[in-house]
Amino acid sequence: MTATSTLPTTAPVKAGTPGRPGLGATIRWELRKLRAQHRTKAVLLGALLGPVPIALVIHAQGRPPKDTLFGRYATTNGFALSLLILGFAAQWVLPLLIAVVAGDIFSSEDTHGTWKTVLTRSASRAQLFTAKTVTAVGFAVLTLLVLSASTIASSVLVGGHQALTGLGGQLIAPSTALKLVGASWLTTIPPTIGFACLAILLSVWSRSSAVGIAAPVVIGMVMQLVGAMGGVEALRPFLLTTPYEAWHGLLSAPRFTGPLVEGLLTTGAWAAVTLAVSFALLRRRDITGG
Amino acid sequence: MRRSIITAAVVLLVLAGLGSVAVATGGGSTVTSARLERSLTASFSQVYSQQARLLGHRGVTPASLHAKAMCDNGGSNVGPGSSWNCLMSFHDPSNPMPTTGYGKFELNVHSNDCYTAGSPSTLVGFQTITDKQGRTVNNPAYEFDACFDPGSSNEPTGVTFPSALTITTTALTPDPQGRATVAALCGTGADGCVGSIEVTTHGKKLGSVPFHLAENETAKLTLPQLPPGTKEADLAVTYQQGVGSSGTTLPVQG
Amino acid sequence: MTTQLAVDAVGVTKAFGQVRAVDDVTIQVAPGEVYGVLGPNGAGKTTFLRMLFGLIRPDAGTIRVFDKSWDSDGVGVLDGVAGFIESPGFYPYLTGRQNLEGLALLDGGARPGLVEEVLEVVDLTDRADRKVGGYSYGMRQRLGVAASLLREPRLLVLDEPANGLDPAGIRDMRALVKRLAASGLTVLLSSHNMDEVEEICDNVTIMNRGGVAYHGSITDLRAMAPDPGHLLDTNDNAGARALAADHPGIEVERAEDGLTVVGQEAADGLTVVGQEAAVAAYVADVVRSGIVLRVFTPTRTPLEALFFMLTDQEVAA
Ligand SMILES: Nc1ncnc2c1ncn2[C@@H]1O[C@H](COP(=O)(O)OP(=O)(O)O)[C@@H](O)[C@H]1O
Ligand SMILES: [Mg+2]
Repeated sequence: MTATSTLPTTAPVKAGTPGRPGLGATIRWELRKLRAQHRTKAVLLGALLGPVPIALVIHAQGRPPKDTLFGRYATTNGFALSLLILGFAAQWVLPLLIAVVAGDIFSSEDTHGTWKTVLTRSASRAQLFTAKTVTAVGFAVLTLLVLSASTIASSVLVGGHQALTGLGGQLIAPSTALKLVGASWLTTIPPTIGFACLAILLSVWSRSSAVGIAAPVVIGMVMQLVGAMGGVEALRPFLLTTPYEAWHGLLSAPRFTGPLVEGLLTTGAWAAVTLAVSFALLRRRDITGG
Repeated sequence: MRRSIITAAVVLLVLAGLGSVAVATGGGSTVTSARLERSLTASFSQVYSQQARLLGHRGVTPASLHAKAMCDNGGSNVGPGSSWNCLMSFHDPSNPMPTTGYGKFELNVHSNDCYTAGSPSTLVGFQTITDKQGRTVNNPAYEFDACFDPGSSNEPTGVTFPSALTITTTALTPDPQGRATVAALCGTGADGCVGSIEVTTHGKKLGSVPFHLAENETAKLTLPQLPPGTKEADLAVTYQQGVGSSGTTLPVQG
Repeated sequence: MTTQLAVDAVGVTKAFGQVRAVDDVTIQVAPGEVYGVLGPNGAGKTTFLRMLFGLIRPDAGTIRVFDKSWDSDGVGVLDGVAGFIESPGFYPYLTGRQNLEGLALLDGGARPGLVEEVLEVVDLTDRADRKVGGYSYGMRQRLGVAASLLREPRLLVLDEPANGLDPAGIRDMRALVKRLAASGLTVLLSSHNMDEVEEICDNVTIMNRGGVAYHGSITDLRAMAPDPGHLLDTNDNAGARALAADHPGIEVERAEDGLTVVGQEAADGLTVVGQEAAVAAYVADVVRSGIVLRVFTPTRTPLEALFFMLTDQEVAA
């Protein structure tokens, strides 16, 4: 390198003051990193293509999986099939897909020893935290939307679009059913954001991507179990998994939205607390490693 | 090290807090008999009307059925579980109720306010039915899933049905003194079963045995002494509370 | 108007549990100066520089950089400051250029052509489109310098930039730092190697076990330094030693075990300590007396000797 140096004898580069990055630039940087990672593509591809074989396999079952909601009609009705997959996805698939990015976005800086790299530029910790959170939550919602669209499309193509028997025994016309199925998938956005925030907290706290990705899935499954247990139903409103079932009300007759509102409050509280703790941890943290 | 201790402490505190919430509210389940009664009648009316449409029965609508139900889980009547039974009556001129006046539905209720109901096949038929075009189709009323609004009214519906008494013994086996017992079961319903059984052999009244059973109780009733050589005994049941068959004739063995 | 200091750290202290990693350290760097923080491993250099960058908070003391502080200016304290701590961290799944372009986003953008320019300065232009995951240690170190220059800093902070490099890498890195220093940039350089600091620094703080062992200019340090030492081996060491009586300015003693010189294991010779001229006169005497010289070589530079003394390290050749 000595031979080819073209360093001028005066200042190598014009001395100046670097500007302050906007939030947009910080988010763009996070997106660039995300785009360059294989796992990001794997998650989106999985969300896009995964529902196709799942819909085909369930549709081909001789006996419908009656013990799950809408399983009774899953082999004969595309709308029921997509709602069966929704119930199944909420158990651990969604937390896993979300956590792959949200549970890694902070701890990957620990893995690569890059906290000191990004924190010695002109972005504050608050700015980096915001950019990472926005990116992780945005990615979680994007993944959910891709999964929803793909599941509904493949279920309806595989299972047909007959009138659907709802959760009040009522027969729902196909056009209404399609809207309600779409709305049902969309109601999982709040708990999905809640899980993304939980994954962020675990990733910030543990500084380990393994914990950040696996723990939300395990916690989600434990919450499912607790939520399904008799005798401790008083805990249900506090669980992050309960809002994943709020869509039941949309398909009942008469329709009810109480659980949706309650779910919104629950996930709002989870998101606020997990993000506040995450930020406090990150702000106070001494970057000694890396 | 310090971090993990603090974390463990926080996790324990949260768990303890949630645990005490659960204990303090005593379960706090939204699954109650009143909500199930309202939900089951509505959802059954829907699926039964669907079935009627498939069968080509005219004039059956959810409103015309006037379904009434009484639900019971054999205990506190609160909380999810698979021991829920609902007695339901409804009005379909082409499908009259049995003598008890109601059918018994078995419910598996989940903590998320959804349940699976199994209908009595005597009232709604089996898994598949033959529709008006002659095709074999799924019977929508045979088994169905429904969810109720946890915020819906929890006022008692006030619907009660009497318990049904069933004599489960099929033959009398007297001891050397001529004493025989019959087993009786008082099913789900209001106020249990009260009345008496009058025993007659070969046209001769032997006397009557009173019974007083609570809901879901079985009892062995000892009949008056049967004369030697009795071939069969007529039992005539009279009810002060509860319903059931008015009598039966049992063979005597040995 | 007083001149604004580039770095004004006063009474900075940081403890990790029982270990006082940095203990009441005061370091002031004037603009345009090339300043060395010298100390053996574990002296607290890295901890001090991390505090300068706001990566960790001091327990006590104040740090102002170009008259800005973390308390009042937040991340604005880093305006005009760039550098890296220990080995620089990069994203292995991005190329060198992508890493630089991304980091430029965190600086509020770099002017057009600057990325190419800094890649050129550290001679990474032709490797810039390879993933950093495949870079050698030395290439990463150079990319670290490039990433720092991207900020067009007034103050460049380098934490043992030559550490872990092979001899050629060390030579290249030192040359690069020297050129950067010569270009008028204020440089704060940490090192555990006296040579490195002596070559390019104006002022130096020698740290030891968290505290300051010496503080001042290299020139003053040289004045304090002991006489240079040499190793002498002849065919008649006793005779050579006897001749030392005629040379009052020097000390000649039997070399202790373990004193080694290139090409010879544990030379069984003499140590000669004294000013260059006096030693030269003594050696000339030895030769004149007919004794055959086998080895005559300097064993340590005076500053190195002083550095080891100041930091209580075992004096090794
Ligand atoms: N994160 C940490 N936790 C505990 N002790 C630390 C930590 N970082 C540094 N130390 C201790 O602080 C002292 C100074 O370390 P450091 O600043 O890395 O020294 P240097 O860079 O001069 O080699 C050492 O004794 C080291 O063991
Ligand atoms: Mg160090």
